[in-house]
Amino acid sequence: MSSQAQAFTTPLAEAPLNSRFGLAWRLALLASLLLVGLLVLTLGASIFWGVGLWGVNIPFVWGFDLINYAWWVGVANGASLFAAILVLRQHDLRTAVNRFAEAIALFGVICAGLFPIVHLGRPWLFYWVFPYPATYHVWPQFRSTLTWDFWAISTHVILTSLLWYIGLIPDLATLRDRARRPRVQKFYGFFALGWRNSVRHWVHHQAAHRLVAILILPLILIMQSTVAFEFASTLIPAWHDTRLPLHFVATGLVQGLAAVLLVAWLLRWGLRLEPFIDDRDVDLLSWLVLASALVTGFLYLDEAAAALLAEPMQTTAFLNRVFGDYAAFYWMAVLCCVLAPQILWWKRARRSVLLGVILGLSVSAGVWLDRFSIIVGGFQRDYLPSMWRSYSPTWTEAGLLVGTIGLFAALLLLFARTLPAVSMFESRHDEHEDRA
Amino acid sequence: MNDSPPFSSGSAPSAPRRLWRSLEELQDAPDLQAWLDAEFPNIARAGSMDRRSWLRLVGASLALAGLPACSGEGAVGDPPLLSPPEHLPGHVPGTPLFVATSLELAGLGRGVLVKTQEGRPFKIEGNPLHPASLGATDVWAQAEVLSLYDPDRSRTPLQQGAERTWEDAERLLATMRTELAFGRGKGWRFLLPQTASPTLDRLVAAMRQGFPEARWHRPAPLAPSGAQAGAISAFGRAVDLVPDLTQADLVLTLGGDIFLFEPGHIRLAADWQARRRNREKPLPRLVAVESTPSLAGARADQRIPLRPRLVEGFAHALWAGLAQNAVPAEAHPAVATLLAELRRAGPRAVVLAGREQPAAVHALALAINAHLGAFGTTVHAIEPVVAPTPPEEDLPALAEAITAGEVSGLVILGANPAYDAPADLDFGRLVRRVPLSVHLGFGRDETAAASTWHLPKCHPLESFGDLRAFDGIVGFRQPACVRLVPSLSPEELLANLLGQAPDGRELLAATWAEQWGADFDIRFTRALEDGVVEGSAAPRIPVALRPDWSPAPRPPLPPAELDILFSLDPSLWDGSYANNAWLQELPKPLTKQVWGNAALIAPETAAARGLSTGDLIEVIAGERRVAAPVWLLPGHAPDTVTLPLGYGRESAGAVGWRVGFDAYLLRTAADPWITSGTLTPLGSQVELISTQHHHALPGHAVFRIVSADRPDAGGPPAKLPSLYPEWRYEGHAWGMSIDLDACIGCNACVIACQAENNVMVVGPEEVARGREMHWLRIDRYHGGAPENPDTFFQPVLCMHCEKAPCEVVCPVNATVHSAEGLNDMVYNRCVGTRTCSNNCPYKVRRFNFFDYSSAELAPPDDALNPHVTIRERGVMEKCTYCIQRIWTARTQANVENRPIRDGEIVTACQQACPTQAFRFGDVNDENSAVSRLKREPRDYAMLGELNTQPRTTYLARIAPTGENGG
Repeated sequence: MSSQAQAFTTPLAEAPLNSRFGLAWRLALLASLLLVGLLVLTLGASIFWGVGLWGVNIPFVWGFDLINYAWWVGVANGASLFAAILVLRQHDLRTAVNRFAEAIALFGVICAGLFPIVHLGRPWLFYWVFPYPATYHVWPQFRSTLTWDFWAISTHVILTSLLWYIGLIPDLATLRDRARRPRVQKFYGFFALGWRNSVRHWVHHQAAHRLVAILILPLILIMQSTVAFEFASTLIPAWHDTRLPLHFVATGLVQGLAAVLLVAWLLRWGLRLEPFIDDRDVDLLSWLVLASALVTGFLYLDEAAAALLAEPMQTTAFLNRVFGDYAAFYWMAVLCCVLAPQILWWKRARRSVLLGVILGLSVSAGVWLDRFSIIVGGFQRDYLPSMWRSYSPTWTEAGLLVGTIGLFAALLLLFARTLPAVSMFESRHDEHEDRA
Repeated sequence: MNDSPPFSSGSAPSAPRRLWRSLEELQDAPDLQAWLDAEFPNIARAGSMDRRSWLRLVGASLALAGLPACSGEGAVGDPPLLSPPEHLPGHVPGTPLFVATSLELAGLGRGVLVKTQEGRPFKIEGNPLHPASLGATDVWAQAEVLSLYDPDRSRTPLQQGAERTWEDAERLLATMRTELAFGRGKGWRFLLPQTASPTLDRLVAAMRQGFPEARWHRPAPLAPSGAQAGAISAFGRAVDLVPDLTQADLVLTLGGDIFLFEPGHIRLAADWQARRRNREKPLPRLVAVESTPSLAGARADQRIPLRPRLVEGFAHALWAGLAQNAVPAEAHPAVATLLAELRRAGPRAVVLAGREQPAAVHALALAINAHLGAFGTTVHAIEPVVAPTPPEEDLPALAEAITAGEVSGLVILGANPAYDAPADLDFGRLVRRVPLSVHLGFGRDETAAASTWHLPKCHPLESFGDLRAFDGIVGFRQPACVRLVPSLSPEELLANLLGQAPDGRELLAATWAEQWGADFDIRFTRALEDGVVEGSAAPRIPVALRPDWSPAPRPPLPPAELDILFSLDPSLWDGSYANNAWLQELPKPLTKQVWGNAALIAPETAAARGLSTGDLIEVIAGERRVAAPVWLLPGHAPDTVTLPLGYGRESAGAVGWRVGFDAYLLRTAADPWITSGTLTPLGSQVELISTQHHHALPGHAVFRIVSADRPDAGGPPAKLPSLYPEWRYEGHAWGMSIDLDACIGCNACVIACQAENNVMVVGPEEVARGREMHWLRIDRYHGGAPENPDTFFQPVLCMHCEKAPCEVVCPVNATVHSAEGLNDMVYNRCVGTRTCSNNCPYKVRRFNFFDYSSAELAPPDDALNPHVTIRERGVMEKCTYCIQRIWTARTQANVENRPIRDGEIVTACQQACPTQAFRFGDVNDENSAVSRLKREPRDYAMLGELNTQPRTTYLARIAPTGENGG
């Protein structure tokens, strides 16, 4: 490892080791910590008093809890998928984006994982879905999609953190070596797992990194499908549909790509990463968003056609979602996820920072609205008209959504503060290749 | 409770709880007598009424009976009768005891059995021996058990609102006795609502005799005043009608609600359904002419909505057609066909006019009945069970006297005139003008606030008495528990003023000892055990239309923009149940409104005035006005507004305080039921809480209607494939059948289920959010035009599906299939994902979103059924088919070493139902009643096409027959 290469990554390593990190970071962290405070408050209240603080009722037993869950899973999945593909393809882009993308995936899945627990009536008993040796020999019910969901989300957390952590090990060792204070040194040294930079280490590291990346790929399909199964396998007319997993995977894809597009634009613009994320990369990402938006559009048409050809109850339920009380959510979802990305047909749109950011946010919001339309709108037309009611969320639920966004932002900011935001060893690798 | 008088040590809840077999026995306990004699020798002296002995008797009454058990002397001599369960011969500890008693509604009795355990009542069932019950109940009887434990009930005497001890109260009563005796009652007025109680009547007669100068006022605010006047006009004498609907081929109702509000409503519903079930005769017909949609109207084969002012003309046209064969040209189009039907049915027809109808309508109804020869077959006349109130004994006369300053003392026994007296009397203000007013009341109500003195009245489940039912049969009232607070019954207060021992049992016994003579002991015990006095039915009296009777010439009606009709409330009755949370949260049968009332109007009337449900209006009648939200009720008569009474209480307790609007503010002495006026929109809106919106009948899959000739509901759904194997049942397999043709939507099952299964009350905010907890709900659908729709009721509870969708989705196995086919809910395994409710197509699962069982509105622990678990927060719950009753029957059968008999297990809903719409039993047993019902062609499974294979199936409703049917 030449000294030039060391010098090349010095700023990346110096950032976490520096005791000062700038006012903007502090302000941003303060803002997001305020939101985390809101999250703690709303979480605490929900656990202390019960989910009655939300707008949920019979038949709307689920509200923001499952919407937010499905949405955060989408964010996590999109980012994981992107990161895994970059690792596997050894794409240049990975040097700059991978660490961030993996972090997005991990923090997204942490935010998602909160909801299945807090949405329980008795959250302190969440571990009962785990097959542990209970005194009464009661096992979880393996036919329940919620049990599948437990496995899916725990697999997701494990794999995403593995992908992120394995990628971090060499850099943690670098930080250990450069740390000036013994306590910091010990901290990084503990997590560096005794990395000595030997070739043997590198061989194992590369194999492990790619193995986990490969495992991520099917997980995306499994995770989104499992979320969809929670709905599709029920009797609720608006949900009981085999095409629902496809819908979740496709909308999850456009959501993930849009999130990555958003982050890519923000990184490129905020950290001046034009050399790493060039126009061609952004162009490619934009085309991908557009293509997946078209797929989503096709799926919306498919949904309409399927519902209109289905049993009357399903048709009623679909028509109610599209034209009923919650129709605005459906149409806003169509507008944000399908129609808005069409602007990317124009080259100037694909090169605009502002449009890229707006589009990233719009698709993310659109997918949230789509989940709302499916979950809440789906409850509204059940079999017995006597139980046709409505749902309106409460401030507690909104606090949970905003709070998890704050948690997500805070985790990202802390990550940028304590760990190298861009992979140092990959950058050095790139630098070497460039010089060679 | 802390500052209660010394004697209360026995009556306070801290007293040891004891079981007894028959409360009347325990007072004869020798130990008790000995103890009383030793402690209170004064009581032994007849007629002596010194202060302390009186106090001790009043407050302690039965509670004292617990003391011998504490004295430790029970080991010697006879065992105390009020003994711990283990000492009661034949009684197994932990099993409930039943006490037969009577509960009052509008002055008439309904027989009930009170289920008690460890000395506290927790459930009320109908008394099968009582003619006004036949084993069934109504919502008000069911809810009495919650009222008993009402935390807001009056606990101490009050003077000008300040708490006083019972000793102070006794000083007051002593003064009153002296004053009454001194002036022979001059200047004193007694206000006691009319009740059909022989003992009260006896005491009132004694008071009248003892204090001849005192004046008595016996108003009957809810009495069908028109009925008596109509009878006097048509027959020359006042009579009460006892319909026998089992004999009727045609029932025509003119207003009223024979299934909910009329005297004997439980019996009428039962008889009507018995007649429908009689397969030897063609189906009977029920025709309802009414202004406000009622349960009878909903069940009717033909319903004719009419403005109140047009009902008399309708009845007149019928009479003219029958008697003179001349139907007026302007008569309602339905008259002609109805005439033909009446003629065909002849003596097997009956015309019943509602309590709100004027005398002329009642007279016409009686005349038609007499003309058809219905008296003797479908209806009988008896002496009025509640004596008619002469005008000088009515409230206006009292109001006049107070205004004239003639009243120096006023005693109000159990009534609440400051709330429910006619508004033009302004009674609350009048009471305040009386120098000394003494009010005996169960709660610190509006009248308590207006009176100088208030004394706590005991609950009917705490005292002795007697009550006649609508047909005159006497039922005894007896305590089912010790007095929870020191209090008096009206009988005891009167006895005290007469200088007699205020001992409820003795007072009751004295009434009947006169009549029974030597047989007294046997008959008295018998009556207390049965709850009814054998052979006490009022004799039928022959009636004949006065030869000179002709319908009163109809005065030309003054034009009115709007007719105003006052009605009782299907939840709160007249407002006396305002502080009962079960009833406040009970969805009204037709509107499904809870926690409030609304001015009911027809949708077309609302449309003409640009009103929608929830808009605030001001209803103006003369100089009086009241603001109320409107409710658009399909089938309501046009240009009419119905104002349900019973809400807007200013002083009812924490639950009933200021819920809804007070319609009494418009009700005058002259027009207690029907008046006219106008309405003005106020331009603002309020949110009205209801559990169901108006929905049209959802096709024919959910609620099925079959014709009488071809009662085929489509049979069981085709065998659908399933991934899961079929369940096998070696022993029992419980199932239920619900007859939609029998359901009248009266809600008795809803409250019965709530009482039996400790279903929590959640409050208005929570219901508005859609979180009511009722395990059993009654779905209401409409069909046809909104001007006059058909109405259908469908009780929905857990279907206990064979292929239960809830079972497969629970991640923790908290809802599982039992070996007898029940869909069990394991509360302590539930983590609360709510996904079972998601997957339940019937939406019968209820979730504890908050900790409702320890919230403000939760019933006191004593009111809860000790056999049913209390559910904690975050847990799903639902109908269990009353699994505790299944296990009780199983235990009993095991003890007796025999199989469980068919019909031995009766679910709470089934037991309460007046029309026996529910049937529960073993579907593995081919000969069980439920199996036979499930083999009927009318049987169908709701949403059977989903292959849930529900255990609960329905019997389709039979479509109306005959003219204009359908």
